[in-house]
Amino acid sequence: MTHTINRRGLLKASGAVALTGALMSPAILRAQTAAIKVGVLEPLTGNLAYNGNQCVAGARFAAEAINAAGGIKSMGGAPIELVVVDAESRPEVAAAAVDTLVEAGVCAFTGSSASALGLASSQAAAKYDLAQVFSVGTAEAIVERGLPNVFRFTPGVEKISAVAMENLGLLNAAAGNPVKTAAIVHEDGPFGSQLSGIVEEALPQLGITVVEKIAHPTPHRDFNNIALRVKASEADILIPTNYLNEYTLMTRALQQQRVDLKAIYSVLGGAASNIKFVRENKDMAQYVIDCNHWYDPRKEQSKALAASVAAAGLDMTYDVMVAYAVIQVVADALERGASADRKAMIDALAASNFDGSIMPYGPTKFVNGDNVNSRPVNLQVRGDEIEVIFPEEYATAEPVFPRPSQG
Amino acid sequence: MMRFASAGQVALVAIVVLYLAAVYVLPSQVWMGFTINALVVAIIALSWNVTGGFGGMSSFGHAAMYGTGAYASAVLQVQYGVNAWPAFAAGIVAGALMGAFIGALSFRYGLKGSYFALVTLAFAEVLRICASAFEITGAGRGLQLRLDPGLATLQFNSDRTLTYTLLLILVALVMALTAWIKYSRFGAYLVAVRENEDAARALGIDTYRVKVVAMAISGAFGGLAGVVYLQLWLFIDSAVVFGVAISVAALIGPIVGGAGTVWGPLIGTLGLHLLGEGAKTALHNAPGLNFVLYAIVLIVALRFLPQGLMGLAGRIGAFGRKGGSDA
Repeated sequence: MTHTINRRGLLKASGAVALTGALMSPAILRAQTAAIKVGVLEPLTGNLAYNGNQCVAGARFAAEAINAAGGIKSMGGAPIELVVVDAESRPEVAAAAVDTLVEAGVCAFTGSSASALGLASSQAAAKYDLAQVFSVGTAEAIVERGLPNVFRFTPGVEKISAVAMENLGLLNAAAGNPVKTAAIVHEDGPFGSQLSGIVEEALPQLGITVVEKIAHPTPHRDFNNIALRVKASEADILIPTNYLNEYTLMTRALQQQRVDLKAIYSVLGGAASNIKFVRENKDMAQYVIDCNHWYDPRKEQSKALAASVAAAGLDMTYDVMVAYAVIQVVADALERGASADRKAMIDALAASNFDGSIMPYGPTKFVNGDNVNSRPVNLQVRGDEIEVIFPEEYATAEPVFPRPSQG
Repeated sequence: MMRFASAGQVALVAIVVLYLAAVYVLPSQVWMGFTINALVVAIIALSWNVTGGFGGMSSFGHAAMYGTGAYASAVLQVQYGVNAWPAFAAGIVAGALMGAFIGALSFRYGLKGSYFALVTLAFAEVLRICASAFEITGAGRGLQLRLDPGLATLQFNSDRTLTYTLLLILVALVMALTAWIKYSRFGAYLVAVRENEDAARALGIDTYRVKVVAMAISGAFGGLAGVVYLQLWLFIDSAVVFGVAISVAALIGPIVGGAGTVWGPLIGTLGLHLLGEGAKTALHNAPGLNFVLYAIVLIVALRFLPQGLMGLAGRIGAFGRKGGSDA
């Protein structure tokens, strides 16, 4: 039997090869689909650089995971391409950086590690109808301006402090109310001042009297006087609100001065939910409790993220988790809206009911830009690990409250 | 203003003016946003120039006036519901009063040179701590103006071209006042104080009064810069407006551009911002490297350009008079 190649046969064969190739190689098809650009506006330099870079890492892990899973399927498997811009830890730079994101052609952006940066950037983005999904921005002013392009996926300071106080009340009641007095130590910036004020008002409602309230600047290096004041106050519990370095030095001073507390319970403490603190200060860190942003560690995607972060040699912090989650939210909006148009993205985000993120939240529901189904969790340092102790449905360990005597 | 300017200085000024005009027609909005930021810093740089450049009173704490102006305006608007226009004026007055207060206190006790520089830094720090401690200033939470764009509220965020134009007018106004000071009798007194205070006093100049008035004028300009920042970004906190960064930005622009000249602060500030932005664009995958480059250029400029870019330009094609460096 002989085969002759004529023009019709060649065309048929070429068509069959092309069709087979297309069906067998979705990756090639995806490569031909234009990438969808999503902005990441974080402080990569300046005093918030650590948090900003952690957020960028989280966003990259999320984009990689989404692209590996087939990209945005409703848009032909289009991959997500991140456009990362440095906010330099300065509000005016964050606002000006929005122009860069718009000209890069992003459909939405995430950011910006601090409320002051996000306030400026979201306002600048409003005139472009460009959505900003906040990674971390706890100030309530963010969602009180009526800007339709603002979406805060994570909880704000009022919800976090309310949940923190509620959980403290539950912990104390379950233990027979051993905590009756509290000392508050806070940094004197926007973050610490606002939170400590809310906590100070809430504690008496739990039957806990505030016997000492101490503010300190950031940076602050000598915590001996503060430790002695806490000791003299004979407070049962210490509620600190400050940044990692000060938190570390404070706990060291408390240990050196042998301040025997029934608990250290921070709100958005940053250190008790920072594995770097646990790793480097294992003894001091034991049984410290924090109420903070955190993922649901039992989910498969969370486990995969933890493995990726470990493989990259990074610290697993809430910045990574939150940034990962907000990219998931953006990807879901793209999937449902099937459009990278800026206005369409705002509409898709406003209608979001996403429940597949790594966070321990219910389905997303934005009311005036604030996700009403977000919530913080309580964490406790136990051994080398940071365990979730509240709420019970996400808990990986039973709480230890009050902590064993340190004397 | 351009009396005794050399060809080099005329060319340098022309480049800056062309750039500022080009921002209107550049296809990229990035440059307009970045230039708006630079112009706010240019106003505080012009403020520093009145005392540091003309009078030789180098302050390390101009954020004290900048922050006072911003906070005065913000407190009036947020806590007392005062309209933005009188609050704007009050911010300028508050900056002037703070400048006069710091000057009066410092010069009464004969502080000069590095002692004066350090006491201004201390004032800025004390004000930063106070602003983060008292409820009226937001107690560390900062103060945010209600977003309400319009002429009545002095908020023009939605119209960048109008914002940019108004900022250019403000900068031109401050530069015109700077030029007027420079060529006035008061300006001559200031230069006399800078060159030899004892000799100036011996000639009958009330050096204390001259220095305090200079601080008040400088404070008014600084307060203006702070109020402009507030009206642009609608949010301030103690670190943003009383932080060391703004004090440093206030002095490096004039030093690089040419202290004691009218155009130097604007040229230096714009030049440094352009350098930083250019480096950031070129090195966008390596955040922070732009600051390294920025610092290297700054060190080189300080080492080899004692009179700044205006001094360098003055040596190119000088005419009118020798040196021609007082544009």
